[in-house]
Amino acid sequence: MPGRKKGLTIFLLILPFLVFLFSLYIGTTPISPSLLFKTLLSPLVSSWKASLPESVYDIVFAIRLPRLLLALAVGAALSVSGAALQALFKNPLVNEYILGISSGAAFGAALSFVVLGSRVPPQILAFVFAVLAVGLVLLIARRSDSPIVSILLTGVIVSAFFSALLSLVEYFASPYSLQALFFWLMGNLWKAGWTDLAISLPIIGAGVAVLVLMRWRFNVLSMSDEEARSLGVRIRREKLIVLATATLITAAATAVAGIIGWIGLIVPHLVRMIVGVDNRRVLPLSAALGATVLLIADDIARSLASFEVPVGIFTSIIGIPLFIILLRRAAKVWR
Amino acid sequence: MSLLVRDLAFRYRDFELRIPDLALESAGLTAIVGPNGAGKTTFLKCLGGLLPVPRGAVRLDGRDLAALNEPERARLLAFVPQEHSASFNYTVLDFVLMGRTAYLPLFAPPSAEDVRIAEEALVFVGCAAFAARPHFQLSSGERRLILIARALAQRTGVLILDEPTTFLDPRHETEVMEIARKLAVEERKTVLMTLHNLDMAVRYADTMVFMKQGGLVAHGRPGEILTEELLARVYDIPMRLLEIEGRTFILR
Repeated sequence: MPGRKKGLTIFLLILPFLVFLFSLYIGTTPISPSLLFKTLLSPLVSSWKASLPESVYDIVFAIRLPRLLLALAVGAALSVSGAALQALFKNPLVNEYILGISSGAAFGAALSFVVLGSRVPPQILAFVFAVLAVGLVLLIARRSDSPIVSILLTGVIVSAFFSALLSLVEYFASPYSLQALFFWLMGNLWKAGWTDLAISLPIIGAGVAVLVLMRWRFNVLSMSDEEARSLGVRIRREKLIVLATATLITAAATAVAGIIGWIGLIVPHLVRMIVGVDNRRVLPLSAALGATVLLIADDIARSLASFEVPVGIFTSIIGIPLFIILLRRAAKVWR
Repeated sequence: MSLLVRDLAFRYRDFELRIPDLALESAGLTAIVGPNGAGKTTFLKCLGGLLPVPRGAVRLDGRDLAALNEPERARLLAFVPQEHSASFNYTVLDFVLMGRTAYLPLFAPPSAEDVRIAEEALVFVGCAAFAARPHFQLSSGERRLILIARALAQRTGVLILDEPTTFLDPRHETEVMEIARKLAVEERKTVLMTLHNLDMAVRYADTMVFMKQGGLVAHGRPGEILTEELLARVYDIPMRLLEIEGRTFILR
């Protein structure tokens, strides 16, 4: 069994790289594997670059590469954040949006599209309001006897509040800006470019690294707060580090990709079913599998039809039935 | 490691805990007894750092408990809760490893040495065979032993146990008390526990502490302080002390 687990762990860790290479090949314009190989290495070999059709170079470097890298980063961020929050709240049904990030981000994007006519980019406002929503939750739930219940409940309330604000903005919106907003809300990577990567990748990279480095600590943090404290955890401080980091990476991912549901809930469950509940494995493998899953989902979203299907719709349609199956099969993993 | 309590006061709504003066010896087992609601668990939680204590009220080898941060405290004193509920089904070894938290920086997973210490703790409580088992599968007696093993992995001089024998069958009850005794005698730890079974307290404890309504009624060696009059005063019902084969039994 340990040998099998180790093999699976290694397989899951290299899977995103394999899927990444395969995904470069997928797209509306067929590019042969050898041409793809030449294109990828052309920045290093100057003689190759001259022989390439310019359109191929642009498709690979301006469209596919940033999009795939963003899918990897967003998938990893959402999954790691989900896994971390599930441990922190001692509840396997918590997801990465539980603290109001999605509704905060949605309202921020709506402000940008509808009120400001995108003069301030939706990415920036989505990020700011996502972080603001979580800050509000923590501020309201700050002093209470049972912090976990009150944080989760406050998360629900703050989400509802921002959803109401979102409805208000939508009500006054023009049909044109509504369309842009709806497409953003559904979650997609089709406009991904190097700017999006430059904004989100440093935050996501640093945040995922912090949470993955803390991986063993999440075992202790998943005990009751009183127990964790008696074992030597500075509970307030460590909780704040986790909440802040998870919030920043989820907000950064949501700002560039919109709301992509179910990844952060389901991927950690899949990982626990495969390798068990020890967070030393769950955290890094959630990053790897989350990146892989979003990459595959995006491959399907962009090759399913001649037009783009928003990947967020897709992850939900696949994610929900998958989750029902998981719930029935995997109850023994947690109970 | 010595544990000194002086003028400890803790107030929670209508309840007030007041311990004027109590010294716990090294290499000894102390049993706190008293009726429900006497404040035994509150007292333990104050000592365990789970409830705030005023400065200077509790000293561990001369160090003020209130001035220690969590990891510092968890390296001197381990607290074994009465029950444990978790949402994730860790293996027994991973569970016991959590006792090493206070020695590990935020970003460090446990080393091979930490694993060895955890395995040693499992051997001490006689559960080495369970190391790879998921801990939800354990019986409540086994779970109690695993909780003790986790506290042992903390390698502390003081061990505090909250009603470690409640709900256990006679065999597991004896097992837990034998382990506690062994920790006091062989490992020279300061062991402190709350108990409801007075016979067990008389048999295993070096010192008994009687509590009622948040205060101390009496404390000392069982042979010296235990009288029918004291028991009646603490529990408000008549009890008798019987000597059978050189051992003391309490009859209700």
